[in-house]
Amino acid sequence: MTHSLTKADVDERVALLRTMLLIRAVENAWADAYFAEEITGIPPSLSTGQEAIATGACAALADGDFVFTTHRGQAPQIARGLEPRRVLAELYCRRDGYNKGKSYHVTDVSRGVIGMGGVVPAQIPVAGGMAVAQKMRGTDRVSVAFFGDGASNEGAFHETANLAAMWTLPLILLCENNGYCITQPVADAVKAPSIASRAAAYGLPGVCVDGNDVLAVREAITAAVARARTGGGATLVEARSERVAGHLCHDRQGYRPAGEIDAARGRCPIERLRGALAAAQILEADAYARLEAEVAAEVADAVAFARASPFPATHEACEDLWA
Amino acid sequence: MFDDRLFRPGAAPSPEDRDRPSVRAALNAAMREEMRRDPLVFQMGEDIALASPFGVTSGLAAEFGRERIRDAPCSEVAVLGAAVGAAIGGMRPIVEFQFGDFLSVAIDQLTHQAAMLRYLTGGQVKVPLVVRLPCGAGQGAGSQHSQSLYSWFVHAPGIKVVLPATAMDAKGLMKTAIRDDNPVLVFEHKQLYRSRWPVTAEYADPEFVIPFGRAAIRRTGHDVTVVATLTLLHHTLAVADALADEGISVEVIDPRTLVPLDTATIVDSVRRTGRLLVVDEAYLPCGIQGEVMALVVERAFDALKAAPRRLGNPGVPVPFAPPLEAAVIPDARRIAEAIRALVGRA
Repeated sequence: MTHSLTKADVDERVALLRTMLLIRAVENAWADAYFAEEITGIPPSLSTGQEAIATGACAALADGDFVFTTHRGQAPQIARGLEPRRVLAELYCRRDGYNKGKSYHVTDVSRGVIGMGGVVPAQIPVAGGMAVAQKMRGTDRVSVAFFGDGASNEGAFHETANLAAMWTLPLILLCENNGYCITQPVADAVKAPSIASRAAAYGLPGVCVDGNDVLAVREAITAAVARARTGGGATLVEARSERVAGHLCHDRQGYRPAGEIDAARGRCPIERLRGALAAAQILEADAYARLEAEVAAEVADAVAFARASPFPATHEACEDLWA
Repeated sequence: MFDDRLFRPGAAPSPEDRDRPSVRAALNAAMREEMRRDPLVFQMGEDIALASPFGVTSGLAAEFGRERIRDAPCSEVAVLGAAVGAAIGGMRPIVEFQFGDFLSVAIDQLTHQAAMLRYLTGGQVKVPLVVRLPCGAGQGAGSQHSQSLYSWFVHAPGIKVVLPATAMDAKGLMKTAIRDDNPVLVFEHKQLYRSRWPVTAEYADPEFVIPFGRAAIRRTGHDVTVVATLTLLHHTLAVADALADEGISVEVIDPRTLVPLDTATIVDSVRRTGRLLVVDEAYLPCGIQGEVMALVVERAFDALKAAPRRLGNPGVPVPFAPPLEAAVIPDARRIAEAIRALVGRA
């Protein structure tokens, strides 16, 4: 079976696959560093199985757009083109990290990534404020607030959704629903039919999308971005996926029903796109193997870079507080 | 001198006061001038466009429009968070809280986001943001509308804290706050809004600003140093006048900004007088009074002739009933008693 896609379509799909592979590989390297006790402190929070959401969403954005990440924020960092070397250096708490070793929440303002998520809903109103600035400054740029299903129960989310409707802000409220708020199943804490359905309460459009289908996510976010860029205001998008790894790496997930995690692994978004591309004879096994090897080499180099980078000097503890 | 009829129409100014600006007018003038100078300055707050309860933003919407004077919904978290995001995005927001006490609703956005994002990003962002906070007791406004909570924010890293006590300071410090590239809290005492003050010619100069971190020695003296803020500064000055008749010479220092704090001016004064009293409406436990005392004791212990003293709210909610409210807020009588005790005249 062949396909009828243009070369640009083919290249884009391969690029989406490569981004998801790179996210998975960078995060696995981070987890390896934790289990090998190369890094200390708060354990990694992995997006394993959720890579399609950030990959699809960021593919719909342009330079000058901003994303505000959650504590599970490595996927949008990689998807927006941040260098794995400096992402991992930051996660190793090293001087050459994007934030000079000062945060788990990697930020690169030049690529429109503000790392937040230390306090669960806090990035949502801040993303709304960036949208205020983008609008007041007369640009057609947009902001995306990533947040989890847990954050959708926070007042900051409700207040910001209402404010975004009131001020017609160029904002995309992107809920990554991965099924669990640490140990609490979403169904226990959300009695509405969906998180997207809450949009109606604010007078916003709400869209629910299969978060394991990278093309569907890209399409939903592209529509929301187009609406925001042309003055149509904010959209709430709920992308449904499943958490495969624990809340953090030390979470053994004994609270989950038997078989649930294995079943989720079987719905891997990377494997789904790989399989589709293979079936359409777009990406054969050897080409896929080359892609994986390329990504593995890039991440091995990034790990070496992170390990070689020094810790910040102690005097830096008192720097960067004041502008 | 002060306004304990905040929720009633104001009286006509005395002939002496007629040409003197009020603190409210000074704050308004500072914001108007800065909004004319810099199109990136804008404001968000509840009811600020049409009928700001204390009138500080009166007339600004008519000049600058509703985009730059934005009536916000009753959503303190979203509005303060929006200010943080807008500041990162290059704007210079001013946020009014109708009562400063309500900052408690949005404290995460201040202490963890506005104040920490520059540090956490390794200096990649700046967060120029002014939060205006009507504060203080004396109007029978009740426990959740009468506090002076600046000690909370002196304790948190990354926030500048400003306390203007006169019209000159209100204008000069507010302009500096708006031009500052960091989060700045301006605590505006409600009893001072309608109070009028003499000003110098430079008050009218659009480039007149007062730098942060410079205390004002409001009265010189050689027996006791009193550090006092806002309305209690003025009560202290009146007490100092009266005690001069008893032969007690009081130096009165208004720190004007608590972050940054002009420790040097306070310590130099105590080295000369050997005695320290700190007077403030703040709750005493972990309050700004104790912080000032600690800084002085660390630096000038050898110069002290008596144990330093402090006055403040002993640690109860500001009561609703006027006699109870008066019982917990320092007043002229207690300031005078503390000073006499310090010099051994109790």
